[in-house]
Amino acid sequence: MKGTVIGAAMLLAAIAQVTVAPLFPVAGSVPEFVLLGLVLLAAFSSPSPVMVVTPLVAVALAFLSDRSPGLLLLAYLPLLPLGFALEESTVPLNHYVRTLAMMVVTGVWLRTLLALGAMANGATPAFSLLVSDVLVPGLLLDAALLTVVYIPMRLAGWSGRGMTLQRSRYY
Amino acid sequence: MIGLAFLLAILGQTGLLNPFQGLFLRATSPVEHVLTAVFRPVASLLSDFDELGTLQDENNRLRLENEDLRNQIAGLQQDAQRVKELESLLQITEGGADETRVVANIVHRASTPFQQEVSIDRGSSAGIHVGMVVLSSQGSLMGTVTKVTSETSFVRLITDTRSKVRAEVAGTAADGIVRGTPDRGLVLELAQGDIKVGDAVVTAGLGGNYPKGIPIGLVSEVSGTSQDLYKKVTIQPLVRLGTATTVLVNISFIPERLILED
Repeated sequence: MKGTVIGAAMLLAAIAQVTVAPLFPVAGSVPEFVLLGLVLLAAFSSPSPVMVVTPLVAVALAFLSDRSPGLLLLAYLPLLPLGFALEESTVPLNHYVRTLAMMVVTGVWLRTLLALGAMANGATPAFSLLVSDVLVPGLLLDAALLTVVYIPMRLAGWSGRGMTLQRSRYY
Repeated sequence: MIGLAFLLAILGQTGLLNPFQGLFLRATSPVEHVLTAVFRPVASLLSDFDELGTLQDENNRLRLENEDLRNQIAGLQQDAQRVKELESLLQITEGGADETRVVANIVHRASTPFQQEVSIDRGSSAGIHVGMVVLSSQGSLMGTVTKVTSETSFVRLITDTRSKVRAEVAGTAADGIVRGTPDRGLVLELAQGDIKVGDAVVTAGLGGNYPKGIPIGLVSEVSGTSQDLYKKVTIQPLVRLGTATTVLVNISFIPERLILED
């Protein structure tokens, strides 16, 4: 039941990514609903559903937006390793900061990779525009979007989870 | 996971996923329509509020332009009547200009400096094929179809930096290639001839990819000296590509690169 709900929610996020997000652009950037969904899933559930959902949502989004599914999967891949690295880091970071860092860094990686993919397919290379028109507004947008969703979730009683996988569940 | 990404990339490149994509798009299209119907008015309201000052200026300018165009129409109607009279005297008959156009709604758009694409809710079942020309509801050029499934088509807009259209300045011998820019504008590259601000740019019909004479935009800036071989010409598109909701697909014009899919 929980898996079905997560799957349906992520499918809705993918559809919203191509229908709703482009209606609210900030400079050359749009809100990343799929990324937000994956980050929240990792932060409030556990890494294992993220590992299952990420390829599925990448394929769904690729179908909806006519992009390469492989490129989209690569774009979302750093999410979990980054989460692990931040949790294991010697620098003490609270759950919100770790989640914010996952969202922002993966957002930058995702937008850069998609732009490079478009350039490889013949789009004009414009790296200054990539930074000023896509990455910086995207970074601010991701931070704002996560904060707007994260804080009410914590206030509603959702507790943040860790990123460490439990071996016993897989052996 | 990286291996899976490469496998998916290969499958996507070879087109093995296309049948699944068609089915998926057909299954999700009702949800897409609902979300678009709910959120588009909200976005439109926010956009209108944001552009209130600009819209007022534009409205005043358009009022004046409208009056001028009405005067021009009156003159052109007189000219058309005269042409008809002359044609009947010379016994000239004009070839049929039958064009079949399919009306479609824009379902989603991807708008970044590197990608300017939209998807529309009509596909191969409506007679649309890759390479066909897409027009605005007023008939100006919007782009070309790049991918088709049974119920959905993907359209690359002319403002995409990968789009190239052979064009000419209406009423002059000047021509060039219209290309999209990363800031979602248009430039006329390799432009030669006497080009002035306000000139209309239309498709040249060369190369077989676009019919001749489709309006593209108006020249908004010409820079360069008389010594320059090619001037830098900026074009203002006639249609607001970012806010258009309905398009027409010209399915009677068969481009030379047309790929008929099963």
